[in-house]
Amino acid sequence: MKVAELLDARRRNWSELERMCVEMESRKQRRKLSAAALARFAALYRAACADLALADSYQLPENTVQYLHRLVGRAHNQLYRSQRFNVQKWTQVLLEDVPRRVFNDRCVQAVFVLFWGVFILSAVFASSKTLWPYYADAMIGDATIEQLEDNFKDPITGRDPRQNFQMAGFYIWNNTGIGLKCFAGGLVVIPGLFIMLFNAAHLGACFGYMARPDVPEGANFFHFVTAHGPFELTAIVLSAGAGLRLGVSWVATQGFTRPDSLRRTAEYAMPIMGSAMVMFFLAALIEGFLSPSGAPYALKATVAVLSSGLLMFYFVVLGFPRRETPPS
Amino acid sequence: MKRMTAEQAPLDSTIAIVTPENIAFTYRVAGPFRRLPAFLTDMAICFLLYMGLIFLVSFLSFLLAGLAEAVLLIAFFLIYWFYGGLFETFMNGQTPGKRLMGIRVLTIDGQPINGLQAVMRNILRAVDMMPPLSVQAIGIDAPMYIIPTFTLGLVVMMATQRFQRLGDIVCGTMVVIEERHWLSGVAQLEDERAAQLAMYIPPDFRASRTLAQAVSTYVERRRFFSVPRRREIARHLAEPLLEKFGMRADTSHDLLLCAVYYRTFIADRVNEEERSASPFAVTPGMPLAASPMAPR
Repeated sequence: MKVAELLDARRRNWSELERMCVEMESRKQRRKLSAAALARFAALYRAACADLALADSYQLPENTVQYLHRLVGRAHNQLYRSQRFNVQKWTQVLLEDVPRRVFNDRCVQAVFVLFWGVFILSAVFASSKTLWPYYADAMIGDATIEQLEDNFKDPITGRDPRQNFQMAGFYIWNNTGIGLKCFAGGLVVIPGLFIMLFNAAHLGACFGYMARPDVPEGANFFHFVTAHGPFELTAIVLSAGAGLRLGVSWVATQGFTRPDSLRRTAEYAMPIMGSAMVMFFLAALIEGFLSPSGAPYALKATVAVLSSGLLMFYFVVLGFPRRETPPS
Repeated sequence: MKRMTAEQAPLDSTIAIVTPENIAFTYRVAGPFRRLPAFLTDMAICFLLYMGLIFLVSFLSFLLAGLAEAVLLIAFFLIYWFYGGLFETFMNGQTPGKRLMGIRVLTIDGQPINGLQAVMRNILRAVDMMPPLSVQAIGIDAPMYIIPTFTLGLVVMMATQRFQRLGDIVCGTMVVIEERHWLSGVAQLEDERAAQLAMYIPPDFRASRTLAQAVSTYVERRRFFSVPRRREIARHLAEPLLEKFGMRADTSHDLLLCAVYYRTFIADRVNEEERSASPFAVTPGMPLAASPMAPR
């Protein structure tokens, strides 16, 4: 058998496969393909695979082998397609796996302690005028303090509803963005920790400053922040914790190679970030609509207590009994 | 002369994939300079989307007041963080920019990526962009524009075998070039003497696999070379062959390689006559042909 003859015999199949690849690449044409055509595509692909496998024993010229590599590669990408999101699987992951992971994860625990430690310490320094007199001014900055006081000088009685929507959108954009940056930065550890600690110190200082007895705007401030606080602060802790877990897996590889360790951890940490995003979203809705409204403080406090309870239930009750070993 | 060992990987940016059909084929991995235009194209599309949304919202804001602005901000958020992730999930590993540049994201095993990998590798681009540079840093009094430098991503890409940036390493993905390669078939030998010379090659001579590869690479490309260049390249292979075949030393080297090519790929090879190729071909009447069997 001459190679030239063999190529002639195969060429028709190959060019047909190539034509079908083009059709498969466009969504519209792909839908129009019949079942028989799809089966034929698979058969042609297998035949091209066989030709490539036998290229050596046929001693095909180099050019043809290259062509076959590209052709098989192209058809392979059309046959094996990316998987979409599976809603049912994701609900299960968010309600079962994430709480268990968070409950047991040392990184999330460490970030939890760090965040709240720094937050409380910063709040104490900022509220006391004797402990560290210039702390609040240095941490928050004069301009921001003035702006804060200006924002909360009037009692909260509700605002224009169109502004509510606008602000809810802004919070989703801004806060979730900070969370995602915190998570991504955790991969190289220091940026993630920096964003998290800076937020802890800054927020703590704002809370502490507003808690000073001689700051009249304090009451309005707490009236505003109570309701959405639990979700938002927990979400920051979760994103930083999941990010830190990624960063730690560079170092503590559990006997895997570093890329393998990272890959394993990514599958483990990404759902945690997903649940943090849900929390940011809920916090943004509360912050946009309930927090600025004129509802009595009791109602806002109830929402805060309820959301804390919900989070407790999520992490402790759903997370407690069955242990899942973390990757490191 | 240095001998090339089998372990020596070719100095090339190709990566071998073994498919479920147990076939190994190669891809070329896309480097930073093919991925940058794709990224810039995507940025331009994002920018146009932003502009379009702003235009649309400013138009609709008479009707929908605050809601329109909320939609705008949420859309900004989604486009900024999830543009790449969603496109790569629903367009089989490609964004519009990647499609334009003919590149595609695959897992390092050559499998298609799933939604999680697509979203995550795009979120982690925030790390690859580091360190950010601000115009203020060089003492210019400008607004706080932060310019991503992509230095970290570039350094990591240079250091990995598959040109992976950090996001790719974490998700176990790589970007490959998906290009067309034209089937040229067997090279046409315009010189009649090649076939004549082939008859003088000893009948028991059979080109080894590497020799066949080298000869076919040469003959398929020789029309791009000038005559002195052909002579220069062909000499290395042809001199030992001339000696082996016992031919006259003044035989044209180029012609000899053409003759070997003719003999290997075009002329009849008696001992392979029975190895017919036709059973493996898919005929129109056989849509569900089973996987072809290996030759005896």
